[in-house]
Amino acid sequence: MEVKIGLEIHCQLTGLQSKLFCSCQCDYRGKAPNTNICPICSGLPGTLPLLNQRAVDFASMISLALGCKVPDKVMFYRKNYFYPDLPKNFQITQYNAYGITSIGVEGRVDYGIKSTKIRRVQLEEDPGRLIYDTSFYTLIDYNRAGVSLVEIVTEPDFAEPKDVRMFLNKITSIIEHLGVGDTKLDGSVRCDVNVSLEGGKRVEIKNVGSFRDVEKALGYEITRQKTMSVRDIEIKSETRHWDEARKVTKQSRAKEEEEDYRYFPEPDIPTIVLGNEFLSSLKAKMPELPDERKIRFLRGYELSDHVAQVLIDNKELADFFESTVKIYSSSPNEIANWIVSDLLGFIDDSKREEGSLFSGLRIEAKHMAELVKMIDQNIINRNIAKMILGQITKTGEMPSYVLDKMNASIIDSKATISEAIESIFKSEKSAVRDAKQNPNAANFLLGKVMQLTGGRADPKIALNLIKTKLAIME
Amino acid sequence: MPNHLYRLTADQVASGIKNRDFSAQEYISQILERIEKIDVKINAFVAVDKKGAAEKARSIDKRIHDGEHIGGLAGVALGIKDNICTKGLKTTCASKMLEGYVPPYDATVIKKLKENDAIIVGKLNLDEFAMGSTTEYSKYGPTRNPWNINYVAGGSSGGSAASVAALECAMSLGSDTGGSVRCPASFCSVVGLKPTYGCVSRSGLISYSNSLEQIGPIGKTVSDVVMLMNAIAGTDENDQTTRATAMETIPNTMSLDRIPKYSLNQNNRNIRVGLVKELVEGADPAVSKCIYSAVDLFSRSDCKCEDTSMKSIEYALASYYTIAMAEASSNLARYDNIRYGFDSNPEEYEWNTYFAKVRNNFGEEVKRRIIIGSYVLSAGYYGKYYLKAQKAREMIKQEVKSLFEKYDVLIAPTMPILPFKFGEKIDDPLKMYQIDIDTVVANLAGIPAISIPVGFSDCLPVGLQIMANEMEEQTLFDVASSFESIVDIHKSPEI
Amino acid sequence: MISKDEIRHLGWLSRLELTDSELDRYAIQIDEIISYFDKLDNVSLTGSDPACSIKKVSELRNDNIHVFEGDPLEFSKNRKDGFVKGPRMV
Repeated sequence: MEVKIGLEIHCQLTGLQSKLFCSCQCDYRGKAPNTNICPICSGLPGTLPLLNQRAVDFASMISLALGCKVPDKVMFYRKNYFYPDLPKNFQITQYNAYGITSIGVEGRVDYGIKSTKIRRVQLEEDPGRLIYDTSFYTLIDYNRAGVSLVEIVTEPDFAEPKDVRMFLNKITSIIEHLGVGDTKLDGSVRCDVNVSLEGGKRVEIKNVGSFRDVEKALGYEITRQKTMSVRDIEIKSETRHWDEARKVTKQSRAKEEEEDYRYFPEPDIPTIVLGNEFLSSLKAKMPELPDERKIRFLRGYELSDHVAQVLIDNKELADFFESTVKIYSSSPNEIANWIVSDLLGFIDDSKREEGSLFSGLRIEAKHMAELVKMIDQNIINRNIAKMILGQITKTGEMPSYVLDKMNASIIDSKATISEAIESIFKSEKSAVRDAKQNPNAANFLLGKVMQLTGGRADPKIALNLIKTKLAIME
Repeated sequence: MPNHLYRLTADQVASGIKNRDFSAQEYISQILERIEKIDVKINAFVAVDKKGAAEKARSIDKRIHDGEHIGGLAGVALGIKDNICTKGLKTTCASKMLEGYVPPYDATVIKKLKENDAIIVGKLNLDEFAMGSTTEYSKYGPTRNPWNINYVAGGSSGGSAASVAALECAMSLGSDTGGSVRCPASFCSVVGLKPTYGCVSRSGLISYSNSLEQIGPIGKTVSDVVMLMNAIAGTDENDQTTRATAMETIPNTMSLDRIPKYSLNQNNRNIRVGLVKELVEGADPAVSKCIYSAVDLFSRSDCKCEDTSMKSIEYALASYYTIAMAEASSNLARYDNIRYGFDSNPEEYEWNTYFAKVRNNFGEEVKRRIIIGSYVLSAGYYGKYYLKAQKAREMIKQEVKSLFEKYDVLIAPTMPILPFKFGEKIDDPLKMYQIDIDTVVANLAGIPAISIPVGFSDCLPVGLQIMANEMEEQTLFDVASSFESIVDIHKSPEI
Repeated sequence: MISKDEIRHLGWLSRLELTDSELDRYAIQIDEIISYFDKLDNVSLTGSDPACSIKKVSELRNDNIHVFEGDPLEFSKNRKDGFVKGPRMV
């Protein structure tokens, strides 16, 4: 059954210092209620919105990075509706029901081998937050009111949740590379997801609170719709919300009637002229985008596509990689593989939500650089290196120091290895008999030798010695 | 100590205090006495800050005594329309919805007045949320015309004009969205200016219609209005719709004498004056008679004055009210009694019900405008009304622009009728709107316009309106002060 | 003709709980006013859109933090633990 999925992403511009229309701090997290406000964002009478210059820069950069056309002039509009989290009972946005006036239109984003069209990119303000305290009253906190949001709307181009996940990874990477936001920060992204089956009615799932939950919500909703369809139950066009705790979509309270938002141009904000000069200077100072960086990784460092993609998807890893290569440049491929296969294993997934992938880990580029250098110089083998890596992440000690403490240098002396082999042959008589019949069983003996030598024996030398010994035995 | 200090013009007060002819305290106590004595008859003030005013006067006198520097408006008594935010002083917009609201910040114009050491004596009456032309829509009752207390003072800045006419303060600030400074100025026989849109900061002006309104000065003379304009005009980082004036300005620093941005020179080197005939012909004969005599006098003083026509006038009222009401319906949405308003416990109400219940405490005229504003913005009618109103506005702007290629100023009556008795138009909103016909053009086009007293008919004041091109306040002041000296009306009402 | 029902709906859209007598009165007055606005029918919709103010990006506010001194909602009458207390949501 054909599925059509479209996304509306609201992303906070956490890279800004202040809010969109006032000088209050943009980062409201952890503040006591109503302590991060001013007359403007709390909607006091007589106040006027003061548009943040850098927000326009950021939104323009996002538009450009998503392949959008950026117009010469941009304007703001009022979306009029009442709600207790809305200090002015209207939202200042760039959306206009009567024509396209956003800061970016008609873009395109490639993710993997697929791509999606971007309908529009626009700036708007975040409302405050409501706490449904009791059945008697609601508590309102305006700390978040006025924070800058960029809304990114895609065409309904996605056919499966997996595609959506890849796309969202790309968006995360772009936003991180631009330095305009951080999609992993709590509450910094909200998604509305539209799903329909085979040209059927469209269901909107509102306010999915993180990118990771989007795939889950989609999974659930598609299954729900397919099940209904198979049973010939009509799928109604409706709004649902994602219940994070129970991992299901639920029907939202039906609205009495379609809200008429009565959009009109915001008179307090002038028309902003962007112009060619502005755009070209912006393009010149825009940070390297993930696609460009990936190409550079593929060509310059000759990484494989998969490895490069993993690095790019997480800017922190890509940055770590490049810092390491700067220190030790001879084996970029080795470094990249270590990061992607081994180091990633140490990263606690739950830490991902805290912002930095590396929080709690004490490893730096210099450690990785020395480790790989030591491997290249055959001072340690990869098994030992893995153990050392584990130690580094905990203590932050340099690999050479750890090695000394471990006394784990490679044993390549044939004499020492032969001793170990002797010992194993004595204790594993049946295995030795098997190995005589079946050469592959020699690996079992090798494993035992490695165990005995604490992993330090050079496996190539050891295997050769084992095979030689087997051969000369009757 | 001279008596009747309250009769002095602002510049006489400022220089008198500076030269130590009298003290600020002496002056202010006379002002406060005057207010105490006559405001019961006029009802211009909604609140008087006796303590604050006296303290400020005291501190000014001390600084003069100590030889310290004082601002250009030092000691001058000012009244402020009660829709302009004054920190620590109640600002109510004459509405229940802002009953007891005390702003935690000063409007930019108030900050500037304080920097100039002006003394704010109190807040002035207005039509609720500045919506009206007679100040009859105020929660505090109407303001009465000092010339005849059975007649309206005009609106919505009725208190601002009446207080100056009745000598309760030297100057005042009002706000003008469709004539709300000029109309009461005309009805009360004082001078009132609506500046170019963007010339004076709106930060702290409680919005009614933000693309049309400006804070405007009111005084007894053109010279006083110039003095006040010099204090309040200028760009403001707190209002992104302000623009730089054409005149040289000095950076905004605390308590320095401002080099006047505007001056009074009366060399009227061949000013070309256009008399807008649609507006004169549409006025009451009593009004047009006054206008024609004034024009006559003026023409004799070496000025070319000729009839001209503004065809797009026919759309002006419809365009103005559509846009104003649309913006109002949105600007007033924030009054939900949650963060500010009157005393009321929201507990146990469902939020939609609560909002609708509390908001019904707006006055009738405000509610009517909110409803109409929502109507003209609603999905089916946006094109037919709001969009067309904006197009009509553009048409008017273009026509005005082309007229200013031929003329330096345009003149017309300020009001098409004489002041009228209370209650005459209150039951017919549309009839009330139509008295704005002369004034809305300037708001729609964003150009400056001033009203100056030009005569009386049956002892009721008539005002002449002079309009200039955008940012041409200086031209306006030049012509207005010429007219003023020629017409030469110097009297105050007997109260 | 603008009906009483339309006025009631607009009242709802604007969160105004109008009484019956208000609805009666307003319906007549508003109808008259809207009919006056119909003058605008003769205005053509072609031509550029007017802009009351225009600015360049460089003329906008710098992205600096400035903490407002004091509590903007100090005089709000309904507070609880720093939150603003509002009516219930359901």
